[in-house]
Formats: sequence, C-alpha cells, structure tokens
Amino acid sequence: MLITSLVMSLNQLLPVAILLVLLQVVKKQSFLRIWSALIVGAVMSFLYMQSASWISQWFEHQGLEYSQMGLCITIFIAVLVFAIRQKSAAFYIAVISTITLYLSHYIIYLTSFWQNNDAGQSLFIGTLLGVGICLSFSVLLYFLMNAIKHRFGMYPLLTLLALNCAAKLLVALDFASQIDLITNTTTVWDLRDLLSENSELGRVLRALVGYEATPDLMSVLIYSTSSLLFLLFCYFIPALITKERV
Amino acid sequence: MIKRLLNQCMCFLLLLSFNATSKEYLIVLKDHLFYPSQIIIPVNKKVKLLIENQDSTPEEFDSFDLNREKVLYPNRKSIIYIGPLSKGHYEFFGEFSPNTARGVVIVSDEEGQHADN
Repeated sequence: MLITSLVMSLNQLLPVAILLVLLQVVKKQSFLRIWSALIVGAVMSFLYMQSASWISQWFEHQGLEYSQMGLCITIFIAVLVFAIRQKSAAFYIAVISTITLYLSHYIIYLTSFWQNNDAGQSLFIGTLLGVGICLSFSVLLYFLMNAIKHRFGMYPLLTLLALNCAAKLLVALDFASQIDLITNTTTVWDLRDLLSENSELGRVLRALVGYEATPDLMSVLIYSTSSLLFLLFCYFIPALITKERV
Repeated sequence: MIKRLLNQCMCFLLLLSFNATSKEYLIVLKDHLFYPSQIIIPVNKKVKLLIENQDSTPEEFDSFDLNREKVLYPNRKSIIYIGPLSKGHYEFFGEFSPNTARGVVIVSDEEGQHADN
C-alpha cells in the first residue's frame, strides 16, 4: 500500500508540478495567485470526483472520457494563450484544469482506501513521500529552466512547454480511441524493451514530454503537428502584436 | 463555400460515427483480481472490453502497453475499446491494487477467451 500510494501520488502530482513550474518560468506569478489556483483546483477536483461516478454513466458509460478530453483540450488552449499573452486568466484555467484532470484520480484512491484498517498510515506516508519527491523535482526543474532561459532565451522553454501541452492532446486522443470515437492506427514503433513507460525514467519522461513506448501513427502526427503549431503561434503572434503597436 | 465546408464536416462526423460491430469481452473485477486475467483477441481487430467492478472500492484500469486508463466505480460497468493490435502480449493492471489486479491481453491468430484461474 505504501509503494502504491507513493507511485500513485507521483503519477498524479508530477504532471501538475511540471506544468506549474514551466508556466512560472515563462512568467513569474505571485504566491497569492499560485495558492489561489491550487486551492480552487483542489476544490474542483473534489467536486469532479464527487460527480464522476454519475458522469461516468453518461453517453453509454463514456461520460468520463468526454469530460477528460474537454479538460485536456482546455489545458492545451489555456497554456498556448498564456505562452503568447501571459494573461493571468489563462494561468488559472491551465492550472485548475490540470489539477482537476490529475488530482481527482488520486482523491478517488485516497477516499476509497482511507477507511481500510491499516491503510491510513501507509497512505499518509506514501503521499508525504510523493509530495516531497515532486517538490524536490520541481525546485530542480525550476532552477534548470531558469538557467536555460537566461542562457539560451525563451525558445528551449517554449519547446518543452509545447511538447508538454501536445502530450495532453495525446491523452485526449487515447480517451477518444478508448471510447471508439476514433480508430487506432498502426503502431509506429515499439520501444518497450528499450525504455518501458512503467520504469522510473519512462514515467518522468511521460509526465514531462508525454513519452509513449508504443505510439500509433495518429498520435505521432497529432503530437508533432500540435507542438509545431504551438511554437509557430508563440513565434508569430507576439511579433504581429508588436508590429501593430509600432 | 460555407455550405461546402458544412457538408465536409457532416461527412467527417458520419465517418467518425460509423463503426463496425466489435466483438465483446467481459472482464470481472472481484476481490481486487481480474477474471479472466488472460484474454486472447484476434490480430488487427478492434474489440470491446466490458469491465464490471464487483468490489466495494473503485479501481483504475491501467495499461501502458495499450495506452488505456479508466476508473472503474464499484458495482458499475465500464467500456473500453482496444485494438487493432499486432501480435504480442499487452499487460494491464489495476492502479489501486497493482500487486493483485493484473492481467494480459494476448493478441494472436488463435481467437478465444479463457480464464487461467
């Protein structure tokens, strides 16, 4: 139970922490703004978790996938808007949607097993360790990305942000094929023997850039196209805005 | 111009909604174990997994190999489509009970479904 809690907390908290760090490096937000986004996000996940059992029965047992696809697309758009215009509303929407998407799973796990006889202590320690590892990783990533930003400019940071956001569209794509909205195409490559998604590095890369060991053709196309479009928008739109102002 | 675009969108939506009937496989989750824990499905065919959680706690069906993830609520049925897949073994597990709730989808020419326990 301890290891499961640790792995679960890392799986669900790491994507939130990574996105928060990347947005923070793009434009530093005040502590008040970060904490209010985190608290609203936690409340939203709790509400989503409370209604998830009911939502899951919509559209012939496919309601959860539709709602999660909506959240993934919202994250992509909100982060793109934040990267271009640095609007605080976009920051709030991106962080709250990410917390709702990921934290709700962990809340379901916590609330389900909390009442078990010996589980409470393991859940608590596992969660505490998970939060600690996430915080350490986030601090290291924050300083690394800040150093890269000062040395090489915004584009390496925006590239990582683009890949991280494109990964959210991959999650949406997986949900769409899970409910038969689209059909899976052929697997492009199989890297399970080289780097499994279940390994430590595989999990970190999955949270960071959406690593998939067995992607299909549609996933590769959506991932590359959306990350390229993200970068093009980040490059051209601010230039157009500056030109208009001049 | 707009009319043509709308027509194209309608055709696309119709194509998306057109799905050949997929073969259905029932998986039951009981006492944090999947029954059957081994499913044999045909190569290059899309199949429908109907998963029934008979436990009193939720579980999350997870598979890195199949790129699937779904919360299974207690005493509820859930549907997951997988495939078309090439030959091989594709593992799945319950993320909340990964030590016990484990299973494998075997994709082979030989079609069928059997429980190994």
